[in-house]
Amino acid sequence: MDSIFFYRNSEKSNDSGKGALQKLKVAVQPNISVKGWPTEAGSAALADFKALEDAVVAERLSGQGANIVGSVKMSEFGFGLKGSQAGCALAEKSADAELMLDVAGEARLAAARAGVYGFKPSYGLISRIGLVGLIPSMETCGILAHNIKSIRDILQTIAGHDERDFSLPDEKMPDFSSQKIDPKKTTLGIIEEVLKDLPSGKRKVLEKELEDLKKAGFVIKELSFPDYSQFMLIHQIVGSVEASSCTGRYDSVRYGRRAPGAKNWNEMYLQSRGAAFGTLLKSYLFQGAFFQFERYNAYEDACRLRAQLVSEMQKLSAKADFLVFPTHNPAASGTVDSLADLYEQFVYTAFANVTGQPALHIPSTVDAGFQIAAKRLDDGRLLDLGDYLLSHRHGGKS
Amino acid sequence: MEFEAVIGLEIHVELNSATKLFCDCPNNPGDEPNINTCPVCLWFPGEVPRLSRAALEKAALLCLGFNAELQPRSAFDQKVYYYPDLPKGYQLSQAHLPLSRGGWIDIADEDGTPKRLRIHHIHMEEDVAKLVHEMEGRLPISLVDFNRAGAPLVEIVTEPDFRSPHHAMEFLKALRTQVRYVGSSECSMENGTMRVDANISIRPKGTNQMNTKVEVKNMNSIRHVGDAIAHEITRQSMAVTAGESVVLHTRLWDPDKKVTLPMRAKFEGPCVPDPMVPEIILTKQEIEDLRARLPEMPAVRAERFVQQYGFSAEEAIYLSSDPEVAAYFEAVIKDGVAPRTAMHWLTTQLIPAVKDRSQELAQIKVTPARFAALLKMLSNDEINANAAREVLAQLFDSDEPPEAIVSAKGFKQVSDRGALDEMIDKVLGEQAAAVADFKSGQGKAMGFLIGQVMQASGGKANPKIIRELLAKKLV
Repeated sequence: MDSIFFYRNSEKSNDSGKGALQKLKVAVQPNISVKGWPTEAGSAALADFKALEDAVVAERLSGQGANIVGSVKMSEFGFGLKGSQAGCALAEKSADAELMLDVAGEARLAAARAGVYGFKPSYGLISRIGLVGLIPSMETCGILAHNIKSIRDILQTIAGHDERDFSLPDEKMPDFSSQKIDPKKTTLGIIEEVLKDLPSGKRKVLEKELEDLKKAGFVIKELSFPDYSQFMLIHQIVGSVEASSCTGRYDSVRYGRRAPGAKNWNEMYLQSRGAAFGTLLKSYLFQGAFFQFERYNAYEDACRLRAQLVSEMQKLSAKADFLVFPTHNPAASGTVDSLADLYEQFVYTAFANVTGQPALHIPSTVDAGFQIAAKRLDDGRLLDLGDYLLSHRHGGKS
Repeated sequence: MEFEAVIGLEIHVELNSATKLFCDCPNNPGDEPNINTCPVCLWFPGEVPRLSRAALEKAALLCLGFNAELQPRSAFDQKVYYYPDLPKGYQLSQAHLPLSRGGWIDIADEDGTPKRLRIHHIHMEEDVAKLVHEMEGRLPISLVDFNRAGAPLVEIVTEPDFRSPHHAMEFLKALRTQVRYVGSSECSMENGTMRVDANISIRPKGTNQMNTKVEVKNMNSIRHVGDAIAHEITRQSMAVTAGESVVLHTRLWDPDKKVTLPMRAKFEGPCVPDPMVPEIILTKQEIEDLRARLPEMPAVRAERFVQQYGFSAEEAIYLSSDPEVAAYFEAVIKDGVAPRTAMHWLTTQLIPAVKDRSQELAQIKVTPARFAALLKMLSNDEINANAAREVLAQLFDSDEPPEAIVSAKGFKQVSDRGALDEMIDKVLGEQAAAVADFKSGQGKAMGFLIGQVMQASGGKANPKIIRELLAKKLV
């Protein structure tokens, strides 16, 4: 049995001979629809489900000559990395890039695990058509690759208006093309509260990175964000409520497996949904239902606080061009058995899902590497900084 | 103690847009089961709802027809519950930010005084699927027809301004007329395109108390809404008089037994904002553009009919209550028929004939132009009323012009005084007794004599001229 791939494309490769992504081998996850491919999103809820049509991202990739080589094993509905082989196809070179949903930081964490670049674009750039999601207001399609060029090429291919997805904000597409970074004119911010709570080993590594960036000429600024710890809390509440609704459609009425022997529709729901979801996801959905039905006020407060955090983050962005964050190293964690274990991994990534801003994981040979983030729709500039770091770090070798 | 009722209505109206609310499926719930479905309205994984602009415009026009304030910003929420008729575990509805707020309908009170009944808000939502319960051998099964799932609805929620079944029934009749005018729905309770829930509580007359209400559902005609409210007022009054308290619950109207019966409570959770359907933003300009598309509303039109044509208020309201009838009427008078003649023949002859034939005014062969041609022959004394009725009957099945039918059937009225003179002399000779009666002062003998002359003419004589000539001869 294939240890990395859930499904491999057995058809001949895309040889259209044109397009920006010619010969690029791209892996996806089975929650990104490719027509006719099993699209189970890592869940028994979608056992044997085959995509009826291509996701817009898949259609656009193929349209630019990319080869979609297969789908990689994933966690249930892409929440966390339990059971996921994300990034492994890149490590073993069976793919040049990989697309996966970033729900709470998964694309960046998988990149950290695989030692590659992992990018979460701004919210609202990429069509949702054909993406089997979990938290609509927080997730977007992430991109993993060995270099920034591939990420930029893929972003330029998949981002942009889609007449079928009305959920995309009606705004002008930013310019993603490559531009030069001048370190002396670039301010990098680091949030005190993040640095302060880092374990000392991890903190030393990050401080060394900042030291190197300073030497390269960047202006480094320490900024305060007293409410930083609220990001995870808001993600937990709002995200779980959305996930609870979003999975409501997996009821075995129209598709999916129906548990046999139910005496009435209520039993049918309980038994079929009970069998469809794994323990970890179930506890997440319970949590969402709890906030929705039993603590609705807390949910409303969380929505308000979310808007507040977004505006605080915008104010911070006025003080620095980019922010630097650590990345949790999933390889360093033990087994993930509870939601608490899961959340621990998202502490440095969830902020970008809550605000919708872009974030890029930069791999490193020391520890897991780190993240840089920009303000929403500054994706092109963030990739410029990534490019600069790719070519200038570690004495110029990359 | 004398009680008064406090009543509010929640009215669901199924819009007649061509497509469903969030996908391009035909909005024809009555078609062969599950024909009008797609991955979006069946909520397959990876599908994204797409709000229909046409449905939104139908809903917005409906709101404007009630003088409601369209909101610059409105949004969809998820009403979460699990039931097989709901294909994703939540219904998309507008719980927090409705499409419009305010608005009203004016009705006539029991004693004819005008009463304004206010609307609290109007919101959009999607309809659910239809469940059909059957037996497969000895096994009860439920079949789901998703044709209706995602059909566009608006819900009109009124203020508790109603005090009587009369108020509710008049409100619903006016509402139906207005919605038909703006063209957003047929609003038929019988066909399920209008569904009404009534919230009813009672209080001692003259107080301002707001007591526990009971919701009544399952009425399938406006008459039944009145009956159910009347029954519920009596039931609650008796209960309170007997010292019982009213508890918050829902009751179903049983149209056969004419009683309301308690139903099992349905679990409903709070609504959360939907993250997929974008907010609806209406600019001032868009609202003004929609307002410009509003037709002349029935109350305004009725007032104009009174002013312009000299009709009584009752006649004007009747004529303007159906937009098709009103348009037909105005087309006929535009062709030169006197308003009163047109109104009289339209309401007493044409509309009953259309109903008898189970046809629609818009589809009949009797176009306004042909109807007008017929009425002009009548007004010009070319034919008499009897002939006009017969020609009208033929116009339903014939494409020939009314003039041709009149000629072919020999309906042309005899107005030739010489010919009529002869007929009258002959009749007077035969009916000496009637002539004597008339001369002795029995006026009704005149009618008999006119009838005799008509008969002698084979129904073609002009009755006005007969009367004129008879009167001269009998002096």
